[in-house]
Amino acid sequence: MNPLKTLQLLIDRPEALGAIERPEGLGRTGLLGYLAGTVGLFVFLRMQSAIPPGLPSFLMVLLFVLSANFFFAGVMHLFMDLTGVRGSASRLFLAFGCSDYLLTLLVPMGFFSGLDLLNGFVWLCLCFAAVIYARVRLVRRLYPVSINKALLSIWLPYAGFSAVFFAAFIYGLAWLIWLVI
Amino acid sequence: MEEQTNGAVNPGAQPKAPEQPAAARGTSLWLKVVTVLFALSLGAAFMVITRADAARKTKPKDMDLSKLAGLSQAKKNAVAVVEIYGAISQGNSSRSWDRGSQQIAKRIKELADKKDVKAIVLDINTPGGSVGAVQEIYSAIKRAKAETKKPFIARFGEVSASGGYYVASACDLVVALPGTITGSIGVIFSVNNFEGLMKKVGFRNEAIKSGKFKDIGSPTRDMTPEERKLLQAMIDDSYEQFVAAVSEGRKLPVEEVKKLADGRIYTGRQASTNGLVDKLGDLQDALDAAGEMGGIGKNPRVLKESDPFEQIMSLMDSKLQLSGAKALTDAMDVSPSVEYRWYGH
Repeated sequence: MNPLKTLQLLIDRPEALGAIERPEGLGRTGLLGYLAGTVGLFVFLRMQSAIPPGLPSFLMVLLFVLSANFFFAGVMHLFMDLTGVRGSASRLFLAFGCSDYLLTLLVPMGFFSGLDLLNGFVWLCLCFAAVIYARVRLVRRLYPVSINKALLSIWLPYAGFSAVFFAAFIYGLAWLIWLVI
Repeated sequence: MEEQTNGAVNPGAQPKAPEQPAAARGTSLWLKVVTVLFALSLGAAFMVITRADAARKTKPKDMDLSKLAGLSQAKKNAVAVVEIYGAISQGNSSRSWDRGSQQIAKRIKELADKKDVKAIVLDINTPGGSVGAVQEIYSAIKRAKAETKKPFIARFGEVSASGGYYVASACDLVVALPGTITGSIGVIFSVNNFEGLMKKVGFRNEAIKSGKFKDIGSPTRDMTPEERKLLQAMIDDSYEQFVAAVSEGRKLPVEEVKKLADGRIYTGRQASTNGLVDKLGDLQDALDAAGEMGGIGKNPRVLKESDPFEQIMSLMDSKLQLSGAKALTDAMDVSPSVEYRWYGH
């Protein structure tokens, strides 16, 4: 099935994601979503001169996006499973890929940021907010949970990462002070 | 469905594709529009990025490189500073950040091999150390000088006596503060004698030796006249090496050096008067002199110490050691050694 048609199906009938039969072309569409989203993110970051040019640089971003989403999908599925909610981890991963199509919006946003219409970071945050919103909607279709639980499960890996990063930062700061004094 | 309910099928009619609802058609249209817009903006973004990258690459070519060449060169060239602080020893650990003579010698070699480094300043603040360790640094300086022809400048801080001066004698210029304590050209071998103490506590040491000098320097008994003679010969030989190094480095006759080398200490100013120091000044004076000798002029760019990893590990290591514990173990270390060291510090 044409990825556009699968995408259209998911937009019009998101409940198809949780149907017994997997929507046709979901795998292709999800993976293409990661690719398109990474292209959008890469081009946006290149326009901000935040990352180096070249194919290896793009592949690094793609690898990062794929591995982060794989990890996030795994953690979320584990959380859902532990709280007694049934669902499919592979469909969740592919659904995340479908939500990553929204990152393609970063390309025109890169131009807007170049025209000084809002800061680049704000555009990035807006786009990520849209991705999170889409993911919440998709997760609700894939696992029969409330909006709050879907939001919690989406934020869980991010919160975990932030907590680890914050703890490491605080520890590093304390360690540095201990070294200097 | 309609065909089934009607019960009649028109064989000539083409089967109709199921009609999409209006909402689905709208979504499909929007997706197609977004895809086209994405493709367009992607193309535009690639053009912008490619042009920006190309402009960045060609920018230096449009500029007058001849003007920039001197500037970039001047910014790149530097004077390196190697710090030699504290007693000089070989270092008895496998930690690469331990500031033993091997690490200092390695650092000197690395800096001398760098193209950007035009001169090296040794910032010396040490009362000296063991003969082998001091000679290792001395030898590294001599080798680097012979291989690279780069000037070496010794800068004396608070104290640069004995082994510190030995190291400095390999340099092309010696700069000292007027109040620096230097000199103490000589060798020392000291051994503790715990015989009386051990008798009091009822401890006795028995040595079974392959030769009569095998336990020379033992702290458990008095030194014999023969041992003293042998050690004196060794000290004299090390002393001759020190005098020869100073004589060669300072371009002074051996007899003249010997007159100065009775172990006494000098202030920087006294040392300057008797030819052991070339110039009185501080670190900036030493850096300026190094810049001029290296052909990059006064107030040169300074390349400071060393590998950041080694620095941070060294800092952490010193913090992790119990306060004063290392100093205590060092003080308790009774093994005798021949040293170019001044113990007045």
